[in-house]
Amino acid sequence: MNLIPWLIWIFPFIGAVLVIPVAKISSKLRDIVAVSFPFFSVLMALMLIPDLLNGTSVDERVPWISIPGVEGIEMGMLVDPLSIILVNVVAIISFLIIVYSVKYMKDDPGLSRFWFLMNSFIGSMLLLVISDNLIAFYIGWKIVGLCSWGLIGYYHSDEKKYWIGGPPPTSYQKPSGAGLKAMITTGIGDYSLLAGIILIYLYSGSVNYTTIFETTSIWMGEMAQTPGIITLTAILILGGPIAKSAQFPLHEWLPEAMAGPAPVSALIHAATMVKAGVYLVARLFPIFYYGYWISNFSEAQVFFLVAAGIGAFSAFLAGTQGLVALELKKALAYSTMSQIGYMMLGLGVAGLSPNALIIGFTAALFHLISHAIFKAALFLGAGSVIHSANSIYMSKLNITRKIMPRTWLFMWIGALSLSGVPPLSGFWSKDGILLSTLEANALWLFALALITVSITSFYSIRIMGLVFHKGGSKSNPEKKVVNHKENDEGHHVGEPSYIMWLPYGILAMLTVALGVVGPWFSGFLEHTFGNYFESTLHLTTVHVAGGVNPIVHDFLPFISVGMILLGGYPAYQLYIKKKLNPVKIVSKYRGLRFLYQFLWNRWYLDALYNKIFVDGTLKMRSPTIRYVENPMDRLLNEKIPRFFYWLRGPTLRYVENPMDRLINQRVPGLWIIFANIGRKFDSVIIDGIANGIATAGQLISRISRTMQRGVMGEYVFAYVVGAILLILYIFFITFLR
Amino acid sequence: MIIPYVLLQIVFVPALMVLAIALLGPKLGKKTAWIVVAALIYTSLLLLTVGIELYNGGPPIREEYVWASVPGIQLKFGFMADGLSLPIALVMNLIVTACASYSFRYMEHKIEALYGKGRNGMYTVYYAAYILFAVGLVGVALSTNLIELYIFLELVLIPSYLHIALFGYRDKERIALMYFIWNHIGAGVFLIGIVLTVFGTGGDFEISSISAISGSPIAFWVILFILVGWLIKMATFGFHVWLPWAHGEHPTSIAAIIATIVGLGTYAIVRLIIEPLLPDFAPFGLPLMILALITMIYGSMLTLAQDDFKRLYACSTISQTAYSLLGIGTLSILGMAGGIFYFISHIIGKSILFAVAGLVLTQTGTRDMNKMGGLAQKMPVTALICIAGSMIISGVPPLSGFQAKWILFTGIFSQGAYGPMERIIFILITIFATFLSTVYAFWPLRRVFFGPLNPSLSNVKEAPLTMTVPLLILVLVSLLIGIFPNLVMNFLTPYLQSLPFT
Repeated sequence: MNLIPWLIWIFPFIGAVLVIPVAKISSKLRDIVAVSFPFFSVLMALMLIPDLLNGTSVDERVPWISIPGVEGIEMGMLVDPLSIILVNVVAIISFLIIVYSVKYMKDDPGLSRFWFLMNSFIGSMLLLVISDNLIAFYIGWKIVGLCSWGLIGYYHSDEKKYWIGGPPPTSYQKPSGAGLKAMITTGIGDYSLLAGIILIYLYSGSVNYTTIFETTSIWMGEMAQTPGIITLTAILILGGPIAKSAQFPLHEWLPEAMAGPAPVSALIHAATMVKAGVYLVARLFPIFYYGYWISNFSEAQVFFLVAAGIGAFSAFLAGTQGLVALELKKALAYSTMSQIGYMMLGLGVAGLSPNALIIGFTAALFHLISHAIFKAALFLGAGSVIHSANSIYMSKLNITRKIMPRTWLFMWIGALSLSGVPPLSGFWSKDGILLSTLEANALWLFALALITVSITSFYSIRIMGLVFHKGGSKSNPEKKVVNHKENDEGHHVGEPSYIMWLPYGILAMLTVALGVVGPWFSGFLEHTFGNYFESTLHLTTVHVAGGVNPIVHDFLPFISVGMILLGGYPAYQLYIKKKLNPVKIVSKYRGLRFLYQFLWNRWYLDALYNKIFVDGTLKMRSPTIRYVENPMDRLLNEKIPRFFYWLRGPTLRYVENPMDRLINQRVPGLWIIFANIGRKFDSVIIDGIANGIATAGQLISRISRTMQRGVMGEYVFAYVVGAILLILYIFFITFLR
Repeated sequence: MIIPYVLLQIVFVPALMVLAIALLGPKLGKKTAWIVVAALIYTSLLLLTVGIELYNGGPPIREEYVWASVPGIQLKFGFMADGLSLPIALVMNLIVTACASYSFRYMEHKIEALYGKGRNGMYTVYYAAYILFAVGLVGVALSTNLIELYIFLELVLIPSYLHIALFGYRDKERIALMYFIWNHIGAGVFLIGIVLTVFGTGGDFEISSISAISGSPIAFWVILFILVGWLIKMATFGFHVWLPWAHGEHPTSIAAIIATIVGLGTYAIVRLIIEPLLPDFAPFGLPLMILALITMIYGSMLTLAQDDFKRLYACSTISQTAYSLLGIGTLSILGMAGGIFYFISHIIGKSILFAVAGLVLTQTGTRDMNKMGGLAQKMPVTALICIAGSMIISGVPPLSGFQAKWILFTGIFSQGAYGPMERIIFILITIFATFLSTVYAFWPLRRVFFGPLNPSLSNVKEAPLTMTVPLLILVLVSLLIGIFPNLVMNFLTPYLQSLPFT
């Protein structure tokens, strides 16, 4: 078994685990550990590059979770062009940012925690992109979210100098609140994604990308039997990327996420984690593409329509908000959302037409790479600037090109690449996305993307102008900002140490280099993925009629540059040459004032969400207790016991006492009656008999006594009577017989 | 290798320790804890040996003793460790052990506050009663006989009552009585079910012969009574009102155990009515799921409404226990696997969180979250443990909560994912209802641990290691299960595959 893909993500986790105990030994050793394990990952990632050139896809698995009733889940690493590219981008940028952090975070009291979270983040981000199944992917996905929560709220004591937002009347946001907001907002998307993953697992019986892809026609066929399930699955799956990659309507967490330290913003909220959503869409792309174009399940198209629509709209929405941002990192955050919108758009339109398949897919991927590089450079530069000048507001940064010449140069390279100025890398990748929208005949999306190009170049140059090109009009209200960070006693304003500028110098140079080889690099990607799609995945790339007009195709770069100038020139005049005062212009026109307020308040979406979800939850608290819990509690724990308590009276009065009377009085009373009857019986009958017998004796004795009185005449009389009776008897017997 | 009389020892060695505690307690005082911990570590090791045997695919282990021999009936007294009962017994024993070592410092603080120094008798009472938890809980899991199970179940009530009444917080005697009555009513309804079962089986108390009444009309009533009895104990919506009180006022050292008793219904319902009476249980599935969903949502709302740090986790138990119930209600093999797995994971997480609430209460003297804030500066280890506990209950990997949750929801989805639309909407509501767990797990973290330090808490110190180390061990166990879910699934899979699912 090839251990390299495993070690890629295991190394940073080892680093994370070691950091804490090693910190007890020495802080220097701890920093070495924290830097070296991400470096090992870079080495491992680079060792996969040869496989990229071969264009193979290797998936080695081991048993992982046994599931009753079905086959268990296997864990494995999928090494294919997509994962190899992503792994390298993540590992290299992470390593550079970690190096930068050594100096940036120096002497911070919570540094062990910082290293732990950063290393865990890198490990889980690498796990996310290289694992071969949705469960391991989701584990990585959640841990990066958790690390993001921990790192946004890194300054967890919420000291005032770490607040972002403002200036008053706009409210501030504290780091711990910003972290919670990110956790909860992306949490909605995570549950949506989990639901989608479970649906796919139930229908396909697997979470492995390869297996899911190979059986697409079967399981999607089963899904198609109930209308709506494929649509539902597609939307649920996209919910994850929409939240994680800060796309409309779950994008509101990213601006506040800038409360974390600058390396965190650069690594997590610009270069890598927010790209995880794009990666997922790209990873599941072949499945839905196969479902729609080869198995002909019309609902599968929803996946691409939603991705493209949300992407284009988010690009525009975030771009407009970036136009008025005052905080340096927040302005960059809006641009991150906007650029990720481009990537989503590219992937979405790639699925809408076979003509756009290769070009859209590779352009999105190219944009992901180039954006990761130049945006990381911009953020690291911004970190140096803020570190040195000690304010989060662009107009309050007391620096000029002279003070920080290297940072100035590197940030300009990043900003120009962000605008899409040729020949920097951003130009080629953005051009590819614009072209693919045309190839897919998505003209509305093309128009929206094109407008956003102007917006992008405007805000990029505005950022640079406000940060580095001071002077000119003094009445700029963006300078009236109250600086709440005036604590720079003996603070050194100037270029930072080479440990800090070298990483973003390298990133800026990479931007230039990638720009120089841009057409070849994009050709290489097209070739690699063309091969991959056709020979490994057997996806059709046959062109259909109605493609882009070749003239438009050739003119597209000029249109694109024209749009850059359309946005860039006014910005140049306003913020670098300072020919005009933007504030005066805005205050002159009512419509512009309204627009400014609308954009400054982020289209009022943040306020709306706060009203509904945060205030809603808080408002539910007391009614839940008052109207449901307490009445129920009172009913069951008070009313019922009280009922029994009250029952004591009636029990005594109506049951116990009558019963008592009955049994203890009436029943004994009855016995008394019986006793009386008995006594009567006794006295009348029993005594009567006894007395009767006695009386009869007396009577007999009296009779017998009269016969024995001794009177001679009575005896003679009796004798004579007796003798006569005897004679009569004899006579009677003798003669009458 | 199986040690002779291993299951008997597991249940009765702690019971014998009651005598030892009664004899030695008055001398040892607070050190009595070590008798308890030693006995429980011994039984944990015994359970582990049984577990290893089963993990490697061994057959269930049965032990049987004659209890009473009346002509005609032979009442038996048996223990069985299979794929369902063993992981539950193991995790409960683990939690009782962890809480015992946590008790050491906590009860010292508590008894001194309530009864003053040098009251060795109080320690004796506490630990003698405490060890009965282990006897009762493990006994319930391993019982093979309905009467035996009922006795073990009621045995648990004795220490619960004594601990709340003697060592609780505000209004402790009344709450103890309330707890006792509610649980006793639940047990009483359960007993009616037992009696009906015995009628049905013709005088046989064995759990293995409950299946004899399957298909007969009495099965419906048996299921109804046993189910309602356990639903009262599980604090489902409508029956839940005792739980916030009990959890609000009991000594925190037994909080985890009370929460375990609440979740035990998951096991009992599967073992006593679903496993033997699966076809008869079918009509109860949907009502049970709806009840569980209501409980989940209501429990979450109630949790969000709390300002009291102890009641917070009490209310979240209501909602979390309902997840398991929801999984069981699907009557699908995966739903049950997930339900049991989630129960195991949740009680680990909840033990940690209750213990943290106790730590914070002990160290700060307050339980009102509005008066906290910034405690991470003073109690970093406690904050870390609390984050881990919150991760478990909100299903954040790499801890065990996530693995349990996705298996659970795969089971729930399997009952609705194939249409019709109303069922699909139902299952979507269930999964988004669990989103609230993220809110109620992470928002209190911010209220208690983050932000500026509340000035009144400036003298707070980190909790002692004897209290935090047991919790860190629980976190580690959860992490291991989260990375290698087979530590649980290897028990459940063979067991559930042996059930007659269609």
